[in-house]
Amino acid sequence: MFLIVYLDAMFAYLELILYKTYADLKAETERTYLGFLWWIFEPILFMGVFYFVFGVLQKQPVPNFVPFLLVGLITWEWFKACVSHGSSVIYGQYPLMQHVHLPKILFPIILILTDSFKFAFVFSLLLIYLWSTNYPVNMAYWSLPVVLLVELLFTMAITFWVAAIVPFVPDLRFVIENFLTAVFMISGVFFSAEQMTDGVQFYFYLNPMANLIEDYRNILLHGKFPDWSSLMIITAVSLIGILTALRVIRRFEYVYPKITP
Amino acid sequence: MNKKVFSLQEVGISYRKKRGIFGEPFWALKKVSFDLFQGETLGVIGRNGAGKSTLMRIMSGIVQPDCGTFINYGYKVSLLSLQLGFISYLTGRENAILGGMLMGLRRKEIEKRIPAIKEFSELGDFFEKPINTYSSGMNARLGFSVAFQVDPDVLLIDEVLGVGDEEFRAKSTRVMKERILSGNKTIVFISHDARSIEKLCDRVVWIENGESKMEGNPKQIVEEYHRYLHTN
Repeated sequence: MFLIVYLDAMFAYLELILYKTYADLKAETERTYLGFLWWIFEPILFMGVFYFVFGVLQKQPVPNFVPFLLVGLITWEWFKACVSHGSSVIYGQYPLMQHVHLPKILFPIILILTDSFKFAFVFSLLLIYLWSTNYPVNMAYWSLPVVLLVELLFTMAITFWVAAIVPFVPDLRFVIENFLTAVFMISGVFFSAEQMTDGVQFYFYLNPMANLIEDYRNILLHGKFPDWSSLMIITAVSLIGILTALRVIRRFEYVYPKITP
Repeated sequence: MNKKVFSLQEVGISYRKKRGIFGEPFWALKKVSFDLFQGETLGVIGRNGAGKSTLMRIMSGIVQPDCGTFINYGYKVSLLSLQLGFISYLTGRENAILGGMLMGLRRKEIEKRIPAIKEFSELGDFFEKPINTYSSGMNARLGFSVAFQVDPDVLLIDEVLGVGDEEFRAKSTRVMKERILSGNKTIVFISHDARSIEKLCDRVVWIENGESKMEGNPKQIVEEYHRYLHTN
């Protein structure tokens, strides 16, 4: 009996998550003239800036700079969008929280789903672009879902934590934005680890995103399998991060509605 | 006597006055006790700032008391909220579905009620248009129609019965009053307006300064409440 009630509630929440994700995605496309086309134009414009600075103004740091840059930027943007939006996701739902009780974890889940849907769309286009420019499907593609899953787990861990803490210290939002920019600079989006001196490389690989971006490039551009041991470590750390963040959000379930933004 | 829906025993809740761990606590409610029974309309009366809205949030399970006990005996309680979670770029229909689901209905349940919502809101073709094309009156109509259709086990009403332009306000107030007076609904009606409390409720709790001061039949409590207001 208890189990049925519990499962029923879970399905209700699942329905809500899916519908809210659909609603948010639709609202976003309705907001502009070009609608969902912005999901494509935005990364292309972004890439254009980096291509101009690092590909035209300077000597290209790696051969075939455009696919190199695109793989890095698109996979980075997925992580960045979730974390950046995550900093205001519980914090920003204050008005809603005053009227109805909802498990607060729903908010970051909906957010991650929304941003992941957009990523899936852009990433599919990236694959089509790569296949049409001499980077065909190869054996290493078998490992692509694993790398995607590991990035999703890592993104969830950071996003949940950010969402859990920011309501208590709203000032953190500014720190998080700048921290994301800083990590972006050192994640090897527009350069490769080979360009670094040996002493620095060790620290470079302490950054999970740097590892993941390199894995994506290995699979998509070089037909090489990813580095399994680093993937395993990132997975373990992410799982711990997710579980602890879930506990924190649960612990403060009834406190969040009391914090005025 | 009917079955108990929920009971509050010496419930108190504090908020922080200022941000941070050093913020002094502010006790919005200190010591509130009463029970709610199935099928009754309970009025909660009190001055502005007495803690009535905070009490609503405890009853609907949004926040938990810091002292005392609040027990819900397994009922779905929800606050009458208008335009809950509405997104301005979506159509009236989509917002109705979203709003209904946020208030705890399953998608199938809310979709079954869409025709009734559409009819009651009198939106006609606008129901399929984004709500940022609506006037504020139309928005209020949609909001009320959705909230009215949700119909939980226990409905909490904070001050407003009806909304919208004159005509719709009369209509929405009328149906809400009909529902309250129908007698088989469990409702908590919060107001500082003694007249409507007296007219609509079976029993009244008077909250003063975060404490439940008195409880009893509407006429008697409202009289005492008025006497108190005049002497203070």
